[in-house]
Amino acid sequence: MAIPMPGADWQSENEPVWIGVRARSFVPSFPRTNNANPMTNDEALPKPSVEVLRKMDDEALITAFQSGDRDVYRFLVERYQERIRNLLYSIFHDRDFIDDLAQEVFIKAFQALPHFRFEASFYTWLYRIAVNKSRDELRKKKSRRFFSFQTLDEGIEKELNIRLSVPPEDRDIKELVAMGLQTLPEKFRTAVILKDIEGLAYEEIAEVMQCELGTVKSRISRARAMLRKALKPLMEEVHS
Amino acid sequence: MKKMKKEKMDILLSQYVDGVLSEKDAQQVESLLAMDAFARQQVADLKNLKYLLGSQPKLNPDSGLWTRFAIAMDEQKEEEHNLLPFPRKYLPAVTLMVSALILVMGTLVIQNRMQFLQFLSTKSQAVREAYHSKILQSSLLPLFSKVDKERALQFSLFGTLQLDEKSETALRVDEQSEKGYRIEVGNNLKRKTKSVTFDRFVAEVKPSAAQKKIIDSLLELTGRRIESSVLIGENNTMAIAPDLPKLNRIMVTNIASCLEPLQRVNFERLLEANNAPYTVTAKSMPVGQTGNHFQRIPKFPQDDRFVIITPDTMMYSQIHIDFDSLRRQMEENFVAAEIRREVIMKKFRAREFRRLPRNMHFPSPDQIFNGEEFFSVEINVPGEEENQQQMHVVVQPRFRKHMLAPEMSGHSTQMRIGKDTASADTTP
Repeated sequence: MAIPMPGADWQSENEPVWIGVRARSFVPSFPRTNNANPMTNDEALPKPSVEVLRKMDDEALITAFQSGDRDVYRFLVERYQERIRNLLYSIFHDRDFIDDLAQEVFIKAFQALPHFRFEASFYTWLYRIAVNKSRDELRKKKSRRFFSFQTLDEGIEKELNIRLSVPPEDRDIKELVAMGLQTLPEKFRTAVILKDIEGLAYEEIAEVMQCELGTVKSRISRARAMLRKALKPLMEEVHS
Repeated sequence: MKKMKKEKMDILLSQYVDGVLSEKDAQQVESLLAMDAFARQQVADLKNLKYLLGSQPKLNPDSGLWTRFAIAMDEQKEEEHNLLPFPRKYLPAVTLMVSALILVMGTLVIQNRMQFLQFLSTKSQAVREAYHSKILQSSLLPLFSKVDKERALQFSLFGTLQLDEKSETALRVDEQSEKGYRIEVGNNLKRKTKSVTFDRFVAEVKPSAAQKKIIDSLLELTGRRIESSVLIGENNTMAIAPDLPKLNRIMVTNIASCLEPLQRVNFERLLEANNAPYTVTAKSMPVGQTGNHFQRIPKFPQDDRFVIITPDTMMYSQIHIDFDSLRRQMEENFVAAEIRREVIMKKFRAREFRRLPRNMHFPSPDQIFNGEEFFSVEINVPGEEENQQQMHVVVQPRFRKHMLAPEMSGHSTQMRIGKDTASADTTP
């Protein structure tokens, strides 16, 4: 099945969208017609408009997807691509790299979505895929740098110290914070990003990172302490 | 302890900044902040940090992400489609079928492997048992081993063969009986046995070098045929190739066939002087064509068919014996085999043959005759004379020329085994 390109007018397509028996919340919202489904002998449903589809909640879209309408995945991607890309950008701070990575995350989610069981919210499930993917990438990066003379963290720390040593008026605070995040080990970095940048609750972070709540609290606290230490000159400047 | 306390405090302050503490915990933290300047500084830093992190720039939505995603998915689908020779939806079913097939084949292979190993093991065991218990332990042994040229000549000319130089036991086949051939294995045959050495044969007959070579190879083959014709086993059992008596006549015929007429006369004189059982009559042997009229020396026993003689019965039995292997085993274990054979022959000599009832069922027309110290077996072999009369060199029984009369339709083989062969001349 061809996936419609952006801008394609779905309403103009002759092929109807069949909503299967698993459709939940949104099914009653579509008025039924007298057109019979030739394949299932079920009553045909009118194709929802793009606007309607955009307004559907995650569960409805996923149900439609699992019922066979893979095109609705486009709306899930549109809905969450910004958050996933920002999460990955916060973790890696590499614009070029995160575009490919975000694509891989959504491909992975597309392949796994038929097995999604609604046990967690879609976005925490999607975040989990993104976090796992970024963890794998960081491991790969680490292994690639295994034989290098300088580790990744050492290099960033050195760069951060150089940038922090410049006069306060020449500092780019946002860049320094982003670099400070890069100095943190992956599990602390991800935890603090999910909390302070993405704004997830502790429980949600525990779900995304697949760990205990107490572990999340500890990781966030330690991450902040490490970041405070790494950005000490900046903290002092802000404080003053 | 202090470190643990500090860590707990850090977590508490961190949660305070996030505003997730309970009212009670929050009040405790505020009390602490009122007293502790360092804690206040820490909370202030955490709040600043939280603000800085929260105000990190956000990326603009990537309008091309869906396009790239769609292209990547199409490529992936195409790739999968290219790789699979069937629709992807059948992949689980195909995987299941292939797994089941592999499982079944694996099981079959394992089962067959076990059977195969078992088969090999059984066969190997059987072979080991055959060689060790039957051959090496001499329950089945050739009566004659290492039949050399001299002994082969002895048998070829006179139909007699001593077991060895020391032994009194000897084998004799002849055609004296009106009923046909006779094979005797007895103790006092040595006295009766005429002896012509190969040197004497050469001196009398004067064969050329080429003829000597032919006769040598004929005698070698005869020796091998004798070795594979008489076997002895445990329980006073003997297996004899029923065709063995033919070998005497065939060899006289073949030796005569490779001689020139004059040499043939000398050969006949030698046979006559030693009272050999066969006499040679040259019919129309063309001069200079010696050696072209050999009688084929058949493999003994033909069709692996043996006459098995036990104290109570006689029967035909088909026994396939790999004589080459047996011969190799004998050579490797010659001394042990000789000792074993001697023991068995002693048993034969000490044996008291009881007379078998005449009406005992034996394969017709063969019969077994049983004296006090011997038994003999008569095996009729019809239709032999027709071939004889077509030959250029006719070999006849010396004392039974009347047996070659046209009315005789065949002849028989008589085997006689006993201690005292004095009575053997008296055919029952």
